[in-house]
Amino acid sequence: MSPTIHVQQLSKTYKVPEREGGFSAAVRGFFKRKYKEVKAVQQVDFKIEQGEIVGFLGPNGAGKTTTLKMLSGLLHPTDGKADVLGFTPWDLKPEYLRAITLVMGQRNRLSWDIPAADSFLLNQAIYRIPDDEYKATYKELDELLELEPLMKKPVRNLSLGERMKCEIAAGLLHRPKVLFLDEPTIGLDITGQARIREFLREYNKRTGATILLTSHYMADVTALCERIIIIHHGQLKYDGGINLLSKKIAPFKLIGVMLAESNSHDLSKYGELVQNEEDWDKQYIQVKAEDVTRITSRLLADLPIHDITIADPPIEDVIEQAFNS
Amino acid sequence: MQTLKLLSAFFKMNVQMSLAYRADTVVNILLNIMWLGWELLSLNIIFSNTETLGGWGLGELIALLGVFRLVNTLMIALIWPNTEKFNQSIRDGSMDYTILQPVNSMFLVTFSRITVWRFWDLILAVILIVVGINMADQVTSAPQVLTFILLAITGMIIIYSLWIVLIALTFWFVKFDNNVTILQALLDAGRYPATVYPVWLRIIVTFIIPIAVATTVPLQALRGELEAPQILTFILVSIVSFFLASRIWKAGLKQYSGASS
Amino acid sequence: MFLIFKRLWQVNWAEQWQYRANLLMYLLYWLVSPIIYLAVWTSIANVKGSVNGFTANDFVTYYMVLLICDQITSNIVIHTFAYKIQDGSLSGELIKPIHPLLTNGLVNNIAFKMLTIIGLIPIWIILFFLFKPDFSGVSLSGVLLSIPAMILGFFIGYLLSAAITSLAFWTTRVYSIHEFYFAIILLFSGQFVPLPLMPKVIQDIAQFLPFQLFMYYPIQLILGKLSAEQIIQGYIMAGVWLVVSILFFNWVWRNGVKRYSAVGA
Repeated sequence: MSPTIHVQQLSKTYKVPEREGGFSAAVRGFFKRKYKEVKAVQQVDFKIEQGEIVGFLGPNGAGKTTTLKMLSGLLHPTDGKADVLGFTPWDLKPEYLRAITLVMGQRNRLSWDIPAADSFLLNQAIYRIPDDEYKATYKELDELLELEPLMKKPVRNLSLGERMKCEIAAGLLHRPKVLFLDEPTIGLDITGQARIREFLREYNKRTGATILLTSHYMADVTALCERIIIIHHGQLKYDGGINLLSKKIAPFKLIGVMLAESNSHDLSKYGELVQNEEDWDKQYIQVKAEDVTRITSRLLADLPIHDITIADPPIEDVIEQAFNS
Repeated sequence: MQTLKLLSAFFKMNVQMSLAYRADTVVNILLNIMWLGWELLSLNIIFSNTETLGGWGLGELIALLGVFRLVNTLMIALIWPNTEKFNQSIRDGSMDYTILQPVNSMFLVTFSRITVWRFWDLILAVILIVVGINMADQVTSAPQVLTFILLAITGMIIIYSLWIVLIALTFWFVKFDNNVTILQALLDAGRYPATVYPVWLRIIVTFIIPIAVATTVPLQALRGELEAPQILTFILVSIVSFFLASRIWKAGLKQYSGASS
Repeated sequence: MFLIFKRLWQVNWAEQWQYRANLLMYLLYWLVSPIIYLAVWTSIANVKGSVNGFTANDFVTYYMVLLICDQITSNIVIHTFAYKIQDGSLSGELIKPIHPLLTNGLVNNIAFKMLTIIGLIPIWIILFFLFKPDFSGVSLSGVLLSIPAMILGFFIGYLLSAAITSLAFWTTRVYSIHEFYFAIILLFSGQFVPLPLMPKVIQDIAQFLPFQLFMYYPIQLILGKLSAEQIIQGYIMAGVWLVVSILFFNWVWRNGVKRYSAVGA
């Protein structure tokens, strides 16, 4: 059987107008615009089989969203081929569109002024879902996401987490075979993220749908995906199992230390010092994962420590480190 | 059949939306009546100073006002709200969702918003037309009434096509979100017979932004001033312009997805 | 203080410049109805010789001057400000040590006007050649007299619009209220037709309202159609209405802000 998603040498180059600040620049820009080319995606290849959940990772601007948009059919690639369920996505065939969904965490498809239930009914009409099938799907989604209490309120009165549940449900009413999810958990709190994750796993198990998702949160990916694809600067950097990856690129931990006294102690002898602007009252050192216990106990023994934390480095930093050098 | 189902789904959704804003709906109806009052007052002022305007009497101008309000309903009940939604969806990216729906996107963009209460304007318009014709003491035959209706429809199709072209331009010039202002602006020219305008303005409202084609022309048909070839030309033009508009819309979508760059 | 206005100007000018394409569309939109009225009335005057003493040329000059006066005295504050009250983004401006409407809002409006006037000039010249008005009645003194009148008209209009915009503190239907206000202006300012052609009742009421100061009064000043007595009368009216509109705006604004901070939007 051929793969559900097959991408070959997919590339996208944008032309972006350059603009400077100031009045005279504005005048010049009015008459003549300068463009520069941005290679968002460069010759990317991969295959995804039916029923897989694949995490699509990369720092901001790496080309994740562009790739998702091409696969869903919104964007034409500059070069290369893609085959999803036997269709070329950007032909935008109605049969294709009825078989996929794209959910973007930062965009709304539901109308704000009316209850989600009404937007759902509109989607039923648009996707031509027969009544009985619609009811069955809705029941199932309700079971998984507990939609019912949210359905009667205007969407604008829902919390972000509640709205996201409705957005995802709205995207799944037509039982798509392929799900493209762009940051589906963005902005949600920890419990909200966990719920969506739980739902996606269950949905995948029940329906055998293929899922390709991007996320900022490492936890999303580790919880859901056995396989991940990493792109950086538009190029494919890694495609394989998540376990292999964590060995390859995430052998580090961050130890955050808050000292009881002044910061006069030099921590660099314990590990590499790392900048962290958000958390200025702590100092961070990066150490190898296997050394964490040893170094932590040394720190505790040597220094007047007020507070200590151990965490995974942020996903962006890890990728940046692993593939930039 | 599917299309009708979809239309009724849109209609239901929009009824709900306007119910959510009941008080606004009432206020808007009051404002609408106020403007009708103003329009009649302004006709009264004009005709207290003259007996004819561009060769047309008061009754004919009232009928014209009715036709104008028909076109205006098209503008306000469909074109305005959908343009707003369209521009918004370009700005916030929800256009992506529109394109990914398995329905003709031009259809979706045309009907996703309907200012439902505006339809009562149609009743007002018909009353104005009937009263106006009676006041004008015109002997009107059935074929004349039929060509009148036919030409009012073709006129509106032409305006609709122009609208599609104007919003499709937004795909090329993203910041072009005053795209229909020009249409709405010149619409006001439809309140008076095109014959009173200086030649250059008459050319604009007939050929460039063809408001007069939907207002003055149907009324001329009602007065029996048009010959068969002219009527056929208008019908032909409306078909061609609709066809062209949908081609330009498709090209715009291609531009949006980067297929043409 | 001068520096504040200078900086505000730079920011607002740059901002408006970004929207030049929209501005041009706005200008076209706004141009159409005076031209239609012009066409309607000149066609009547051409048939009848004159309407109530107004010849075709009188109408042409009236509306040609109206294009300029209206552009100078009108404002767009409802469009640039009401939404800030509604969506709460006013909060950011309220904590700044300057008055949002009387500094930033005002400068924004003036920047907008400057650009539209620049856009209007070529269009006006084209219209001049299309309609060939005879401006022989215009005198330098009339033009000079009209300038302070238009500035007064602008400030009165701005304050009244700002007061109506501030009703957004109480109601979400401020745009509907503004539409009503707009119709009132249409009725009493001489925008549709020179006031002497309006029904007698409207003329009588218009005399005591500020709206003719936006259009009819400065237009007639420029065209040299007013007697010394009428000119003085107009200026007195303008002075009175300026005071009234300052008081009115202040009152609405202060109560509005009080309410805004109480509700905590």
